[in-house]
Amino acid sequence: MKIVVCVKQVPATTEVSIDPETKRLIREGVSIEMNPFDTYALEQGILLREKHGGEVIVLSMGPARAELTIRESIACGADRGVLLNGRPLGGSDTYATSYILSQGIKKIGDVDLVICGKQAVDGDTAQVGPGMAAHLGWPQVTYVSRFVESGPLELKLERMHENGSDISLVKLPAVLTVLKDVNIPRIPTLKGRLNSRKVDITIWDEKDLETDPEKIGLGGSPTRVVSTRKPDARDKHTIVLNGSASNSARELVQILKSRIEL
Amino acid sequence: MNSNYNMFHVEVLPPRQDAEDLEVRLDRFATRYKRVLDAGYCACITDNAMGNMSFQGTEIIEEYDLPVKPDNVMIHLNTFHSKKDLDNILNTCIVQGIKYLLIVSGDGNVRFPKLRPSDLDIQGVSSVTAVELLQYINREYAGAFILGVAFNPYEPEEEEVEKMTRKIDAGAEFVITQPLIDKNPVVDRLIINIDIPVMVEAWMSKKLHLLSDCVGYEIPEDTEYDPMGTLANLQSEYPSGGVYLAMMNYKRQFNLLADLSFIGGRQTVR
Repeated sequence: MKIVVCVKQVPATTEVSIDPETKRLIREGVSIEMNPFDTYALEQGILLREKHGGEVIVLSMGPARAELTIRESIACGADRGVLLNGRPLGGSDTYATSYILSQGIKKIGDVDLVICGKQAVDGDTAQVGPGMAAHLGWPQVTYVSRFVESGPLELKLERMHENGSDISLVKLPAVLTVLKDVNIPRIPTLKGRLNSRKVDITIWDEKDLETDPEKIGLGGSPTRVVSTRKPDARDKHTIVLNGSASNSARELVQILKSRIEL
Repeated sequence: MNSNYNMFHVEVLPPRQDAEDLEVRLDRFATRYKRVLDAGYCACITDNAMGNMSFQGTEIIEEYDLPVKPDNVMIHLNTFHSKKDLDNILNTCIVQGIKYLLIVSGDGNVRFPKLRPSDLDIQGVSSVTAVELLQYINREYAGAFILGVAFNPYEPEEEEVEKMTRKIDAGAEFVITQPLIDKNPVVDRLIINIDIPVMVEAWMSKKLHLLSDCVGYEIPEDTEYDPMGTLANLQSEYPSGGVYLAMMNYKRQFNLLADLSFIGGRQTVR
């Protein structure tokens, strides 16, 4: 089974700022990490490979430093990684990004399954996975919470929605987005981390991908962010409860009850 | 009394997973670890301390082929692991000859899995704490380890003592306190009331204010603090057990430890 796992490097903090000119996230000078939801996608890819054989290829689009996230994925157990990197790709919205990633998947070739986290914690759109499926013309299953059965040609999956869950059958190739319920991601080992530093990462730019220049970057992005604002700060205040632990606990319950009633 | 308890227990922090200069930090870990063992102290290797994703002591020992003296190595083990990783760590400890484990609940992180009661086949509790981890290890790895636990004298005493009773019932054989900066009446009462050895922890960083969260009140950043003086004082106040040294400075403080030593459970100043 040839599995592509899409990963994104995101700010490792909720204190992100937005450039007032471009309306884009300021990523410079902010510590980074792998999008937490993508760790579940990666783990699922590795579990499927352990069951069916094949390989797990990590695919990411981003600046050169996104290579670190790819290496982290390899440290966890992915076989190799591809970074889509080029100045014309910058500023892509979810439509353009999913197009570019789908071009990457086509170039990798003979892919059976693409797995993504349900969304990235910086943009919070949950659009790129479904967008890739649309560009590839493949079926998609979003919000996968459990792999019921997996075979080389078809998957049986549980997917969550507002009213509960469905069991879906999907033929491969397909695109999935997964929830945190799906597995417990492994932590990179020291051996894996040291090996990952020696692996060559494939880097493709817009020319390697044979992208349509009209569909990439800011110019190829139909979305325009016209204004942004920070949410209002929540009203916070501290109440100190003196007295014994049992009395304080009783008092706290009363306070919480009164808040719920309000 | 077990010889391990009457020695300096020196904390050695494994490098964080996101360290850019990883090889340098791994070399530094290996050097410090060997210095601690060569000096006859116990190297205590933390487990993702403060919720920072770090490498496991067992994997660095394996990778660097570091020596293990069973009485001189202690591994911290917390509840933020998958069951598979937990068993892997415990089995590696057995293979490497590590027998002392400090069992703590630990600090979480969004990337860490948390052990569930069902993982450990334990019923009647909603989450896994140090107590359940002790029960599991004593059940599945009976006799393989000597298990210790933490004691926090800054939490309400009644609850901490009750927790300690459950920890001892679950198989705890020694205790290490949270950092003390002076004689502590809560610890004094604990020592009187339990039958297992208690080691006190000495805070060896000059930055005493970093302890604010631990002690539960604000320590001003400019507070003057003498770690070596505190260590000598704690040895004098608690002569019957070893001392755990947190945040040890290996350049300046380590060599001074030779002047403070334990002999036969009694502290002497040379």
